[in-house]
Amino acid sequence: MGKRVMVVDDANFMRTIVKDTLAPNGFEIAGEAANGTEAVQKYAQLKPDLVTMDITMKVKDGLEAAREILSADPDARIVMVTALGQEKMLMDSIALGVRDFVVKPFTRERILSAVEKALR
Amino acid sequence: MVKINAAHVNPFVEAAMRVVTQVAGIQVRRGHLSYKAKVEPSFGVSIIVGIYGFLTGQIVYSLEGRLAERMVDKMMEGKSPQEKKILFLDCLGEVANMITGNATALLNRGRDQTLNITTPTIASGNNLSVHLVPKAALVLGLITQYGPIEISVAVEEGETLQEAGASDPGLLSEAG
Repeated sequence: MGKRVMVVDDANFMRTIVKDTLAPNGFEIAGEAANGTEAVQKYAQLKPDLVTMDITMKVKDGLEAAREILSADPDARIVMVTALGQEKMLMDSIALGVRDFVVKPFTRERILSAVEKALR
Repeated sequence: MVKINAAHVNPFVEAAMRVVTQVAGIQVRRGHLSYKAKVEPSFGVSIIVGIYGFLTGQIVYSLEGRLAERMVDKMMEGKSPQEKKILFLDCLGEVANMITGNATALLNRGRDQTLNITTPTIASGNNLSVHLVPKAALVLGLITQYGPIEISVAVEEGETLQEAGASDPGLLSEAG
């Protein structure tokens, strides 16, 4: 059984791209969430091995969701996926303890390598 | 008094040219720069992204349906027509998100403060009417072989988020 990944992004398109990259490479998609609130709830239920997390989302952004997940589970492995221009939030998320970040637009190889590295 | 700085437009143009070429494989050329007293998108697909920070306002991307379809086709290569249809607006919203993010990264360079962006609001259809906070804009046309892209940059320095309405990127409706 492959490592279980939860994909968080408010854009269905981006979730599809991430899932389509990870699933054929041996990862199991444990679940997905379209905002930070959903991400925190689903993380508690699904206990995935890793989360890919968008930063800019309505309801609750990815930084706040990462903070809550890491507060409940300090061993959580989170890779932030974000557009350029969010450097401040990215730095804040790294200070929180996220494992890596991927900048959009990304290549499939880049997201795969970030996820693999974060799971080592 | 409206203060729009032409230097604020270039990062959006640079970012749009780079992102559209990278994600959709479409070559982009610069077109003409113009001034509009009020933002009125010219084409059938409109994407609005709010920005706030040391600049506040809205960026409105407008493009023809044919170009939008071509971009989605390329970005979702291998997907069924049904999936492409479902993710059509979502996909274009992500392109606008990437362009705006890349542009704000350029604008942030050498500054202590940073710009933030809102999630995109997207709509497509004939006779589309876009209701925005009335603001003047610098409008730059980009040219591709599949049709034009129009970028309206309606941002000002030193406003609060609420005053410029960046938290509400706009209301879209279909007229008629």
